[in-house]
Amino acid sequence: MKFINSFQSEWLKKKRSLASWLVIVGAFFTPTIVLLVRLKNHQALPKLNVAEDFWMKLWFTSWESMTILLLPMGIILATGLIAQIEYKNNAWKQLHTTPQSYTTIFLAKFFVILVMIFEVFVLFNLGFLLSAYIPSIVFSDVPFPTAPIPYLLILETNVKFFVECLPILALQYLLSLHYKNFLVPIGAGFIIWALGIGMVSWQYSYFFPYMQATVDFLVSSDNLKREIPINLQLLSCVYFVIITIVSYILYATKNEKG
Amino acid sequence: MTNCIETINLSHKFASDETALNAVSLQVNEGSIYGFLGPNGAGKTTTLKLILGLLKKQHGEIFVFEKPFTQNRVEILQKIGSLIESPSLYGHLNALDNLRILQKLYQCSKNRIAEVLDLVDLTKTGNKKTSDFSLGMKQRLSIAIALLHNPKLLILDEPTNGLDPNGILEIRELLKKLNKFNGITILVSSHLLSEIEKLVSHIGIINHGNLLFQGTLAELFDKQQQSSFIRFQTSDNNKALQIFESIEVQTKLFSNNITIPIIQKEKIARINEQLVLNKIDVYEIQTVKNDLEQIFFDVISE
Repeated sequence: MKFINSFQSEWLKKKRSLASWLVIVGAFFTPTIVLLVRLKNHQALPKLNVAEDFWMKLWFTSWESMTILLLPMGIILATGLIAQIEYKNNAWKQLHTTPQSYTTIFLAKFFVILVMIFEVFVLFNLGFLLSAYIPSIVFSDVPFPTAPIPYLLILETNVKFFVECLPILALQYLLSLHYKNFLVPIGAGFIIWALGIGMVSWQYSYFFPYMQATVDFLVSSDNLKREIPINLQLLSCVYFVIITIVSYILYATKNEKG
Repeated sequence: MTNCIETINLSHKFASDETALNAVSLQVNEGSIYGFLGPNGAGKTTTLKLILGLLKKQHGEIFVFEKPFTQNRVEILQKIGSLIESPSLYGHLNALDNLRILQKLYQCSKNRIAEVLDLVDLTKTGNKKTSDFSLGMKQRLSIAIALLHNPKLLILDEPTNGLDPNGILEIRELLKKLNKFNGITILVSSHLLSEIEKLVSHIGIINHGNLLFQGTLAELFDKQQQSSFIRFQTSDNNKALQIFESIEVQTKLFSNNITIPIIQKEKIARINEQLVLNKIDVYEIQTVKNDLEQIFFDVISE
């Protein structure tokens, strides 16, 4: 019960904040671009919409910019913004004098960001479906897609990418809790991401903490010819657990909490 | 009488190795209003932060409601309302949402939100973001937050900062009322004695991390009485001193003036008579009474 109260309290804090807008903008950005491109090239859609592999193609097109750019950047920004709510408002001291254990405070905030990422996935999927159907509503000569929606593939990809972006969340949360200056976690996150992108063609790039989703996408979409000898989701979970434990220890043992 | 807060030899050093607190033993009685006084940088906020667990304890013991704080942190914090340094408000939210956040955590009745807003006269702020509030409004909302869950103990660090004289008076009356009718123990810090002398029952004076005085307001008044004196200015101080000695009055010679402890006015008249009879001109006899503010400065400069 206590944790739910803390979670609700944390959830309230992001009301009207930049972080809550980021979820909506981040989730609908790629589907909107995809939709605009499809609307612009609507003459080609009657053929494309009835193709067998329609959903597969649209699905991977939609995920491309998400896994490589928007998801890592969104997590970096959202995590920083959520922790910054306390720093900016000088509110850590208020939060730490409420009757909650440090574990509850740490986890409640962490879960808010997790749920926000989940929200992004749900809205992104909604945007994906809308980008598929809206052209058929707008243009009478564009038929609705005829191939069955590959629910299993969609679910599987969602779970895979969600798990694979957890290390980004964990490390960004650690940095955002530790540094008062908003630019430190954002800057560090951006540098780690840019380094990862720079070494994506390297044989072992999948070991780089922020690159699991990117490498997975590039390999799955045949953009990167590579054998991945380990389970990327398992690797992501290991990173996630280790970084989260370190993050909690650093937070709980901080000398000054306000 | 039981202690609501008790610290034993509380010491603290910051990374700069500067001693912020040196063996501070604070005792705040249940039901009292304890004024914690000291100039800026004396160690008031450090003490309050340690009591609330915002700073990691290095040396000494902290008991709140007669229980060790560290082992009973969550249980103790359930009964404390606090305001430390500047207000901690979520600027992008309105007053109501700020209180809702705390209401969720303390699990107190939702009706309390309207009650405390009314108490601090902030019922009509509507959808205005707290970042657009004046400092006084922010301070009042912070007090409302501290009172939301009907705490047994209020810890307020300079709560009247930024308030106009009328606001200061209102907060003082509110705190008095809370203490008298709700039995809330209040620990309030300030750097101005004049600001809290009309409010508190007990006083602790801290400077350079050392607790220099602790007691009731009456005990501080006694100290004031003891430090009052009568000053004589005469034409021949040496001869006058001999006369004071002959009538067994303790004297001090200071800046060409003779000072003696406070005595009855009839006795002053007799002394004056003696001086005149011995052909000593008496230019001035003055009773010097230190006010509480002066006592405060005397204590911190000791």
